[in-house]
Amino acid sequence: MKRLVAIVEDEPAIRDNYAAAFTREGYTVRTYGNRSEAMAAFAARLPDLAVIDISLQEEPEGGFELCRQLRAMSAELPIIFLTARDSELDAVSGLRLGADDFLTKDLSLPHLTARVNALFRRIDALRRPHEPSDVLRRGPLTLDTERMQALWNGQVVLLSLTEFWIVHALARHPGHVRNRQQLMDAASVVLDDNTITSHVKRIRRKFQALDPGFDALQTVYGMGYRWVE
Amino acid sequence: MSLRLKLLLLGLVTLVLPWAGCRYAGEMESALRAGELEALQGVAQSIAASLQGRTDLMYRQAPPHPPDESAASGADSVTPPPERPTDPDDFLRGPYDLEPLALASAPPLDGYAADWPQQPSAWQSFAHDEAHRFSILTGVHERMLYVLLDVHDPHPVFDAGGNRTLEPATFGDRVWLGFEDPQGEQRRVLLAASGPGPFVARRIVSGEYGRQSVELEPRIRGAWRPTATGYCVEVRVPLSMLGSAFGVLVDDRDVRGGAAVSYGTLRSDDLHTMGHLILAAPELGGYLTQFLQPGVRIAVMTPQGRVLASADAPAAVTVADGGPPLLARLYRRFVDSPGRRPLLQARAPIYDRDRQVTIGELEVTQAADRWIRLRDRALMRMLNLTLFTSLLLVGVMLAFAAWLALRLSRLRGAAESALTRHGLVTEFPETQARDELGAVARSFATLLARLDEYTQYLRTLAGKLAHEIRTPLTIVRSSLDNLESEALSPAAHAYLERARHGSERLGAIVLAMGAATRVEESIGNAERLPFDLVSVLSSAVAAYRAAFPHRQFQFECGAPAVTLTGAPDLLVQMLDKLIDNAVDFSAPGALITVRLGATEAAVLIEVENPGPPLPPQLQGRLFESLWQSRVGRESDGHLGLGLYIVRLIAEFHGGQASATNLPDGRGVRLAVRLPR
Repeated sequence: MKRLVAIVEDEPAIRDNYAAAFTREGYTVRTYGNRSEAMAAFAARLPDLAVIDISLQEEPEGGFELCRQLRAMSAELPIIFLTARDSELDAVSGLRLGADDFLTKDLSLPHLTARVNALFRRIDALRRPHEPSDVLRRGPLTLDTERMQALWNGQVVLLSLTEFWIVHALARHPGHVRNRQQLMDAASVVLDDNTITSHVKRIRRKFQALDPGFDALQTVYGMGYRWVE
Repeated sequence: MSLRLKLLLLGLVTLVLPWAGCRYAGEMESALRAGELEALQGVAQSIAASLQGRTDLMYRQAPPHPPDESAASGADSVTPPPERPTDPDDFLRGPYDLEPLALASAPPLDGYAADWPQQPSAWQSFAHDEAHRFSILTGVHERMLYVLLDVHDPHPVFDAGGNRTLEPATFGDRVWLGFEDPQGEQRRVLLAASGPGPFVARRIVSGEYGRQSVELEPRIRGAWRPTATGYCVEVRVPLSMLGSAFGVLVDDRDVRGGAAVSYGTLRSDDLHTMGHLILAAPELGGYLTQFLQPGVRIAVMTPQGRVLASADAPAAVTVADGGPPLLARLYRRFVDSPGRRPLLQARAPIYDRDRQVTIGELEVTQAADRWIRLRDRALMRMLNLTLFTSLLLVGVMLAFAAWLALRLSRLRGAAESALTRHGLVTEFPETQARDELGAVARSFATLLARLDEYTQYLRTLAGKLAHEIRTPLTIVRSSLDNLESEALSPAAHAYLERARHGSERLGAIVLAMGAATRVEESIGNAERLPFDLVSVLSSAVAAYRAAFPHRQFQFECGAPAVTLTGAPDLLVQMLDKLIDNAVDFSAPGALITVRLGATEAAVLIEVENPGPPLPPQLQGRLFESLWQSRVGRESDGHLGLGLYIVRLIAEFHGGQASATNLPDGRGVRLAVRLPR
C-alpha cells in the first residue's frame, strides 16, 4: 500500500512540484493550501507523513499551529517543516513542537525525498523488533542508523534527523575534524555556518541534559568539529 | 569668525560707556571751570575793592600825579616818547616815569641784557632825535634797583680817565643818574668809564669857595660795554638811597671834550628829576598774602600791566593722593588734549573813586590743579565704574558665548556621531531647550529618527529580500529538479544544467544576504565564556593555511596566552571574514599576516594583506552594511556583508573595527580592538 504524504504549502507552484516529486517516488500525495483545509482532511484520515510550511496564507505561524494539532492527534506521525524561513528561532520552535525535521526550501527535491524515505525507514525500523544490525558504538554513544536513534549511556537522545546525521558524521571517525561543509553534506542540508554552529550547540545541550560532563563534541576553531572518545 | 569672537567684539561696543564718561567729564570740567572762574572773579573784585584808593598800600611813594606842570616844564630838551602818549586816564604814568620789573634774581653787572627777563615791552625808549636815543630797562631785586641802559650812539667815546674828571677836555660819553633821596633832596651821580668793564659812580661835591670835587659813590656800581650800535650801561643802586623821583640823562659826545647832546629823563640844565620810579609799597606783598588760597597767585599790576607785587601760595598738593597715578595719567590722556593745562585767571581794576582813575589792576590766577583734581576724582570714579560695567558685560557675554558655543558644539558632536554611527540614534542633546537651539536640536532629532528608520529599513532589506527571493527560487529549483526526471533531449539537458547553475548562484546570493541577519541572531544568543585567544587564533590560522593553499599565512603573537571573555565561535567567524577579505584583495602567493597584540586594557587583532590601498572615500564606511566599492575577485554572493559582520561581532565584544592603509602603500591593515 502506498504511503500517504500530505503537503501543506500555500505556494501552488512549489506545492505541485513537491507533489510531482513525491508521486514519482511512489507516494500518494495530498496537497493543501491552508490550515483549515488540511485539518478537515486530517480529521477524516491521517497521512503517513506531513510536510508543512510555516506560513500559510493569512496565518504567518499557521504551520506551527497545524503541527501542534497533528501531534495531538498522533504522537508518531512524522512531521517535516519545510520553509523559506531559516531563523534559528523558527527551527527551535518547530522542533520543540515535535517536528521530526526542520528543512529549508534550499534543499533540492532529491534530498527532500531522500529525507522522507529515511524517515519512513526509521518508522519501519522502530516498528520492527530490534535487531542491532547497523549500530555504531563509540564509548557511551550508540548510533542506530537503522532507526536513526542516538543513545548516550543507554539513554535515548532525542535528535532531529539533521542533528543525527551531524553526530553520525562526527562519530564515525572520532578525532577527525569535520568542517562545516562536510557536516552539511552529511546531513544533506544547505545551511550557513551560523546554523551549523547552532545545530552543534543544540546537540551539545541535548547530550549535556543527560550527562552534564559531556565533552565529546569539540570545536576546532577555524576548522570545524570533532568527536572525541 | 567664531561665535565667541563675534560676541566679544559686540561686548567691546560697551567700551563706548567709558568714552561717553570721558566726554561727560570734559563737560563737567568746563562747567566746573566756569563756576571756578566766576568765584575767582569774585575774589579778585573783593581784593580790588579792598585796595580801592589805597595808593599808599600799593605804591612805595604815592605818585604825585596827575603830573604837575612844574615837573614837565623843564622838559624842553627832551621829546616825550612818542609811542607812549599821555593818557588822561593814565593815573600813574608820567612820560618820564620808570616802571622797574620785579626781578627774580639779581642780574650780574656786565652790561648784557641776556640775564634780564626777555620782555620787549618792558623796555622804555627815550630819544632826542634819530641819532640820539636810548632804551632803558629797570628792575628791582632785594632792595636794589638795577638799570640797564642801551644807548644808540654811532660815535661812542670813552672818558679820558685819570683823576681829571672835572676837566671838560677829558669828557667822553657820560650818563647822569638823578634822584631824590628819601629826604627829598635832589641828588645826582655821574657814570663814566674810560674803557669797557666795571666802574663805580662818582658824585660831584660842591666844596667851599665853589670848588667842586669828585667823590666815588661805592654804593652805586655798574659796567660799561660797547655794542655794535653804541654802548650798554648796567648800574645797581640801593633802593635805600632812593626816594620817589628818578631819572637818567645821557651826555652824548661825538669827540672827547666836544659838545654834548644831553637827553633823558632829567632836566638837561639842572639835572632835576622829571619822572618817578613806580614801585610797589613794601607792605603790598604782605597785604596780598592774607588773601592767598592754596594754588592761587595774586598779583597787583600797574594800569599798564606791569606787575607791582605778587603773592604765590605754596604749590597745591599734587595729584598723588587720588588713585594710582598710572591709571590717572591714562585717564587724563583720554580727556585732556595734549598741552592744555590752562590757568584760571581773573582780573579786576583797582579804582580811586575820588580821582576817578584806575590806579592799578588786580589779577588772581589759580593753577588748574585744583579743579583738575576734582575732575580727576569724579572721572576716575566714573571711569572705574563704567570700565567695571564694560568688563562685566564683556565677561558675561563671553560666558554666554562660551555656553552657546558649548551647546552648539555638543549639538554638532551629537549630529556628527549620530550620522557616522550608522543611524544608531540614542539620545540627542538640547532637545529640551526652549530656545531656537532647542528647536534646531528637535529638528535634528526628528531628522535623525527618520534617517534611523530608513537605515533600519536598509539594514533589514537584505534579509527581507533574501526571504522574498527564496520562494520563487524554490519554485525554480523544484521545477528544475522535476524537469530532470523527465525525458529530455540532450540539448535540453545543457539548458537545464545552465539553469541549475544559475539557480545555485542565486541560492548562494540569497544565503549571503541573510547572513548578517543570522549573525545578528546568533549574537543575540551568544554566550560569553573565558577562553584563550592565542590558541583559538593559531588553530584558525592553521585552518586557513589548509583552506587557502594559494596564500601564505603568518601568525604573530607576543604573548603565550591571552585570556579573553567572549564568544570564540563568533570571533573565529569574524576572523574568517577578515581573512576572506584579505584573500579577496591579494594576489596568489601573497603573505597574509595575522597579528595579536595585547595590553592590560585591550586586545588588538590585525590582519594585513598586500594589495591595492583603500580609496580615501572608503575610510570609515568599509564596515557598513552592503558597502562594497573595492573591486575584488569574481565574488560568489560577495555583498559587502563580510566586514559588516566583522563590525557586528567586534561591537558585540565592546570593541571596534578599523581599516588603514599600510604606511608605504603596500597593502591594507584591518584591525579589531577589543577591550579585555
